[in-house]
Amino acid sequence: MDALLRHAQALYKDRQRIALAAVIICFSAAFYVFYGPPIQYALGEDPVWTIISSGWSQGTVVVFGYSTVGFLLALSVVVFIYAFWSWAFLPSPATLYTMAVLRGIYGSKTQITQRIGKRFRVHLERDAYVDFECRIRGRGSEDWFIYRVTTSAITAPNLEAIALRHGFSVSDGRLITWMSNDELHSRTLLLAKALILAGT
Amino acid sequence: MTEDTRRSVYELVQMLSSFNETRRAIIMALAHVYPKSVSGVQLSRLIGYSGKSRSLYRGVLAYLQDDKLIHIDELTPKLYAIRINSEHPLLGVLIGLCKEYGTEARAIYAKAMEEQ
Repeated sequence: MDALLRHAQALYKDRQRIALAAVIICFSAAFYVFYGPPIQYALGEDPVWTIISSGWSQGTVVVFGYSTVGFLLALSVVVFIYAFWSWAFLPSPATLYTMAVLRGIYGSKTQITQRIGKRFRVHLERDAYVDFECRIRGRGSEDWFIYRVTTSAITAPNLEAIALRHGFSVSDGRLITWMSNDELHSRTLLLAKALILAGT
Repeated sequence: MTEDTRRSVYELVQMLSSFNETRRAIIMALAHVYPKSVSGVQLSRLIGYSGKSRSLYRGVLAYLQDDKLIHIDELTPKLYAIRINSEHPLLGVLIGLCKEYGTEARAIYAKAMEEQ
């Protein structure tokens, strides 16, 4: 694995640790805010049900009260922020690696835009493009960084044959494939060749 | 050798060299044992894979199937039969080459599959 990617992998693990720490801190803070001392004023003096003891009924009021809604809301905001963070942004060394590989094949003059959601779009001639969407597989997986590659729709009569002969498949007139990080350079090269043969 | 075969062999070499080690090992092993199909455990033995075969299914095998290089048939929910796609234009050439020149290598693969 490339040194940049190994760095990115370490940063990603750090990100998970930061997220865990943030969840713990938010959990304690939210717990204090919503279940702290003022809660006793919210509870009435009289028990709601007379059959069970007042302690139980007061506890039930707390669990099904607005405090719990607020508490869960606060936690879900934290989880949502983390989910968005890891969906949207690739650790910067991995971005550097991807851009360097793509520039190495398409040249420095080709326009490559980077979009939110770990996506890269290489703009080719005549509105054709190639999308690279990076996914992080994480622990327990052989390939840490996986790219979902999709091209723009191509109209070539023998597209299927061209795709198969370069190790890709066709869906809706687009060449699609999955590449792992160590295949990114060699298979993108073949993709560029396939696109030339398909006449884009 | 005709012009067409030479071209196919060139494209085959180019395609195989674009794959990473795991994919290459899988395709070479499956091309040699063709027309037999193998299970996930047998395949991980054939390619010297130390991880769980389950992670092969989730990763590289699913991608190979997407690119129409292999077929995965589900025999039972836990047992899969994996075989190479012999209708693929380049892999057909590879299978032919293996059949013609790969007798010894096939014997080695067969031995690796038999051992428990």
